[in-house]
Order: sequence, then C-alpha cells, then structure tokens
Amino acid sequence: MAQDHEPNDDSTDLELIARWRAGDERAATSLVARHAPALARFAVSLGQRLDVDEVVQDTFVRAFGSIDSFRADSSLRTWLFTIERRLILDRRRAARRRRDDTSVDDIDAATEFNPLDEMVAEEAQSRVRKAVERLSRLQREVFLLRVNEGLSYKEIAEVLGSTEGAARVHYHNAMRAVKESLYV
Amino acid sequence: MFDCANVEMRELLPDVVAGTLDATTRARVEQHIASCAECASEYETLRLVRSAYASTPAVDVRRIVGALPKVTPTSSSGRGKPMKRWIDWRVAAALTMISVGGLSLAVARRWSADVSPRDSVTAVSSVDTTAAQPPRAAPTEGRTSVGNGARQAPVRPVPAPPISPSKAQLAFAGGVDDLDDASIKALLGVLDDMDRAALAPSEEPDPTPVLPVIRSGER
Repeated sequence: MAQDHEPNDDSTDLELIARWRAGDERAATSLVARHAPALARFAVSLGQRLDVDEVVQDTFVRAFGSIDSFRADSSLRTWLFTIERRLILDRRRAARRRRDDTSVDDIDAATEFNPLDEMVAEEAQSRVRKAVERLSRLQREVFLLRVNEGLSYKEIAEVLGSTEGAARVHYHNAMRAVKESLYV
Repeated sequence: MFDCANVEMRELLPDVVAGTLDATTRARVEQHIASCAECASEYETLRLVRSAYASTPAVDVRRIVGALPKVTPTSSSGRGKPMKRWIDWRVAAALTMISVGGLSLAVARRWSADVSPRDSVTAVSSVDTTAAQPPRAAPTEGRTSVGNGARQAPVRPVPAPPISPSKAQLAFAGGVDDLDDASIKALLGVLDDMDRAALAPSEEPDPTPVLPVIRSGER
C-alpha cells in the first residue's frame, strides 16, 4: 500500500534491494519501514496475536537471507506476505505438535481472549472483527488481503499458492458471510 | 440482501477502500456507489472491516534492521567470482610453469657441469682412443681394451692427474674428440693405474682382457 511507504524515499523496492546488496544499510531501513506495518497487519489477520513483532522480524530475516531467489515476478510485498504466511503456518504446526490437542482452526476461531478488543472502541468494529474471525482461515486470508492490503486476486493467489479464480470465490464467499453475520 | 448486478463496479469496491485505484476509476466507482444501495452497503461493510483491522501492532524497525544478515558489497553481485577464480587459476598455472622451468634449467646446468671435458676423461666406454692418441707402450697388451678396439701399441706410463676413482667409475658420456691432450693423458694414466692394480696379485699375464671391476668381483 502506498500509504505505508516512506514519503521521503521514492525509490522502488528493486532499487532499494540493489542498494542494500551494495552495502547501504539505509536502504534496508527503508524497505523494513515500508513493508513492516503491512506485514504486522497481515500477521494479525492470520490470527497471530502474540509475538507479531517477532514474526515480522523473522520474515524480513528470512527474506533478506534469500533475496537472490526474489525474481521480481511479483511485488516484493507479495513475496514478503508469502514468506510470512509460511512462517506463521510453520510456527502453528510446531505449536500444535507441542500441544497436540488444538487444531489450527480452533486457534483461529473467535475466543474469549482477544487483546485487540482493547484497541477497538466502537461496537461496530468489534462486531465486524468477530464476523471476520468466524470465517475459515483461507476465506479470512483472502478477504483481508483484498480489503486491507488491496492485493489483486492474482497476487493473493501467489501468496496462498492457489489460483486467481479460487481467490475470487473465497473473497465473495467471505463477503457474503460477513454481511450475513452483520445484518441478518 | 442482494448483490449488485454490475460486477465490474462491485469488484472494484475493495480497491476503493484500500486506496489502490487511480483518481479517474475511483471517481467512477464512487459515482456508482452513490446511485446503488447494494454497493453502498457493501462499501460501508468493507470500510468497517478495514477500520477494524487498521490498527497496526508496533514493530521496531531498528531492531529488525539490526537482525538482518549483513552483506558485503563484493559478494552482492556475484559477477566477479568466476572471473576471479579464472584469474587465480591462471596465476597458479603461471607460477607452476615458472617453477618447473627454473628447476629444469638448474638440472640442465648441473648436467652440463657433470659432463664437462675434465670429467668426461673417464667416459671411456665405446671410445677408440687410438685414433686420437699416439701409440704407447702397454704393460699388458690387450688387457685394457677400450671400446671396440684394443690398444695395439705399447704405452709408456704417464703420470696421471689426481682423479678420484669414484669419478672414474661414474664416467658415462663424452667423446674422445672432445678431449684435449692433457685429458687424454690423464685418461690413459688412470687406465694404467687400473692395469697395475689388476696385475698386482699375479705375475703371469692374463691372456683374456678383464676389466678391473670384474677381476675384483672374482676375488
């Protein structure tokens, strides 16, 4: 999203990557500042309620460590979302193996504990959040990537490793479910 | 609850909320929203969703940057690596050639020093000294035949220059044409010494030509 970009740095992501590889650490700072907020929001939308900062950091570390594999076929942000999503799913699988009694969807489902409730004052927003959290994991990912991050269906498909058509279907099913939850 | 039949406008609603549309398209969609109750309702829902998730958890940019892997400018491009390796190999090959060449030169010089005319005095095998030497009285005729022909004329003893026996035994090359008179005299002197040594145990002349080495082996 353009509003997350640093206003004083009009360089493209590719230019910043080239500068970082040439040893310019300020370019790395620009890249992190440009994409970290969106990654943090995406982590929350994936149900990551704790250690969001750590997840975002691990995402950048993993991405910068394998920056040679970034082919610029998609945007850097889409690539970062893909890495972050895999990272979160890996962490959940590891946590599930440790607990061995809680499914991913159970973790993602709306629960009594929700620290973001404290940040959301209005009742309408709280109801919307609950409606979104009732979605399946895939629907929620598609829905929030589309609405919050403004990704196209093609980019969403790249993040999820799915198809553009499937992403479109997931979005419209999610939209219908949220409206039913709010207005019916 | 119905959906708008204008699929194009409906598909663009999330983009209006996310702010990713250009001004012209955005104005067109907003104009449609103003006249479509279904799209207006959906647009409002989308705005609520976005506002509900607008709060961004705090992230420490400086800490993240500090955790990033460090890069060295020389290793970033990767283009110089193959060329550098190629240059390294060429330098190594050149050094090897220089070393081998220098070693060969040293060996060649040592070789030429070993076969100098003075030492080649002892290179007596396959050399007929009669062609280059005046007749001398041999103490025992036919005993010190050298090369293909035996010395026919008697040879007077000539004082030999001091040549170590080991050098005489190491003689292996050279031609008599390369020898000067002094060297030839020295050679003959050595041969005479060998003859005398061979004759020392027996007063009777041995009719068969026997080299001293063979003789000493029989003892």
